[in-house]
Amino acid sequence: MDRRLSIPGGLTGALVGLAAELALEEITGMEIVNGLLAVIGAGFGLIRIDRRIYEATVNLIKRVPVEPNSDYRDVLEQIDEMSLELPELRDSFVKLVQAGIEAQKA
Amino acid sequence: MVGLNALSKFFRKTIGPRIESLGLLPHRYYLHRALDALEEDNIDEAVRMVTLAGNDKKDARWRLICQQVIFRCRVLAAQHQKQLDRFKTEMEIFGKPSELTDTYLRLQKAEKRAQDILRNYESSLLNQLIGSKSAPVRAE
Repeated sequence: MDRRLSIPGGLTGALVGLAAELALEEITGMEIVNGLLAVIGAGFGLIRIDRRIYEATVNLIKRVPVEPNSDYRDVLEQIDEMSLELPELRDSFVKLVQAGIEAQKA
Repeated sequence: MVGLNALSKFFRKTIGPRIESLGLLPHRYYLHRALDALEEDNIDEAVRMVTLAGNDKKDARWRLICQQVIFRCRVLAAQHQKQLDRFKTEMEIFGKPSELTDTYLRLQKAEKRAQDILRNYESSLLNQLIGSKSAPVRAE
């Protein structure tokens, strides 16, 4: 099927859309695009919960305070102590460390 | 579009918190909000959201997020303990009859209070975790 793309048509559409958004914002006083993006973002976040859980796990490790004179073994020991009774989280930490080691090897 | 935006704002500001506290919203909504709160270090809200999402306690995602909040509670409690230790050492160095003693005592009290709150959150979440599945007992 032969499809023709029109650049002036696209630009006109974008301009009309922008004008419509500005006009609606002026009339209603509401930021329509921002509101819509917030709703889409929230929906997207709800779907991508597994990714967010992974990011939160990485953040947890990053936010463990490290003393200036402590080495990685102290930090690992600290993380180990604090993850007692938390089996799934401990597994996640182990997987993260393994992934880090693999990445360094590669 | 306008309707959706207005509806979303209206929901968040008015009936949103009430419906949230009833636990009627989708399970993932509460998990998502718990992660938001954890990111902002708003532990009170994170514990509330994890508790509200706890109808399905065998869910792996719920268990992991619950453990993340417990871990953060422990990290923050340890930081407060370090502050307490530091105050104690400084008080020993400056001696008891010092102008700073009152200030140190007040700071110590605030640190202790923060630590107690975090420990309460931790034990509340641990109880929920143990209730969902038999967790290993901590070796004393």
